[in-house]
Amino acid sequence: MTCEQVKEHIADYLAGILGRPEVEELDDHLARCAACKQEIAALSETWEMLGLLEPEPLAIQPSAQLRSRFYESLEAYRQGMEAAAPAPARRRFFDWSAGWASSPAFRLAWSAALLIVGVGVGRWLGGSAGLQDEVHQMRQLVTLSLLQQQSASERLRGVDYSNRVDQSDTQVLAALLHAVNHDSNVNVRLAAVDALRKFSGNPAVLGSLDQSLRKQDSPMVQLALIDFMVDTRDKSAVPSLAALERSPATDKNVKEKATWGLSQLQ
Amino acid sequence: MPETRADNVLMQKVRDGDLAKMAVLFERHHRPLYRYFLRLTGNREFSEDLVQDVYFRMMKYRHTYRDGHPFTSWMYQVARNAHVDSAQKRKGETPFEEQPEPASAAPDPSEILLRRQDVGLLRRALAALPVEKREVLVLARFQNLKYDQIADILACDVGSVKVRVYRAIKALSRIFFELAGEKAS
Repeated sequence: MTCEQVKEHIADYLAGILGRPEVEELDDHLARCAACKQEIAALSETWEMLGLLEPEPLAIQPSAQLRSRFYESLEAYRQGMEAAAPAPARRRFFDWSAGWASSPAFRLAWSAALLIVGVGVGRWLGGSAGLQDEVHQMRQLVTLSLLQQQSASERLRGVDYSNRVDQSDTQVLAALLHAVNHDSNVNVRLAAVDALRKFSGNPAVLGSLDQSLRKQDSPMVQLALIDFMVDTRDKSAVPSLAALERSPATDKNVKEKATWGLSQLQ
Repeated sequence: MPETRADNVLMQKVRDGDLAKMAVLFERHHRPLYRYFLRLTGNREFSEDLVQDVYFRMMKYRHTYRDGHPFTSWMYQVARNAHVDSAQKRKGETPFEEQPEPASAAPDPSEILLRRQDVGLLRRALAALPVEKREVLVLARFQNLKYDQIADILACDVGSVKVRVYRAIKALSRIFFELAGEKAS
């Protein structure tokens, strides 16, 4: 074994996976070469010492918040996917067509057709659509990542960043609705209500905020929600506003605002 | 079913829309992943953010998971990208912080003291190592991955991984003995 070959085998030697014949050749070489012997001794010592850096598994655990953050984001993601699921009417078409559509010949023809259409559209757009899509995905990723952060200021940045995302983005919409309903910080909830204005054309937003109005524990968020409903002329909010107006538990300012809201919508 | 194969099947289900299975993959892998990031960044908070980011990316890019590809390798590929992106964002910061001391079973107090000194120097040496060298050592020494798995993660051949391990441990050794020499002199 040459000095060069020793270097090639060192990684296997350190990991303890060098075969017996190679170990014997290596030992022979080390008996004759002081430089290699010194190098391998130093590297083995460092490699072994790295073991000292590996504490007991219990001493190096992530915090419990990591788990709760993961499950929150998983739930938000699932809600986003459900919101983006195709409408039932379209499903029926696919069910009907599933028989012949699943045949290999159809799939091949369909793929070829899509390829031709794709190439044509790609040429027509001159590649800008791909880039736009990438930019949109990046913005979506940044928004959703920020909205999951532990610090409220980061989540506020996420809400702010959501303004750069397309209003058809259901994942960001779901994350904003989640923030309005569940965020522990009132400022984040208020900012999320404002950010939802660009999604006000979506019926799911109005329905969800109507429910949120009844559940909110912060009068400030309730006031912001009533403003939102009046601005969007959401008449479906009338029963909720009436309930708030009647309830003895409602904050005085919210009551007055609900009365005003009812007068605007009725 | 071996655990690795079970992981692959779970990830296929996630890819096909059964997102709830991601929770099982989280429970199985988030701790080693956290330790991987902690070794790379030395910072608990960054490491937790990175773990969160990896699971988010795996959900978002689940359609890129290919049948039969080992899930662990794919997860570490995603983890590497997440780490590179976050390192670019935090350019200029020095994130290394003290990590927990290992529980030592050695009964000799002088040996414990010596080890603590070594551990301190070794941590400093590891922190001083360029990130690509630190990464390959973390994968090989702490994550208990085989060289062929690391080759898959780093998108290179096994021979290149062995060369990188050799160069990384050599660089670490040099820095460690330099620091030890400074301390002794």
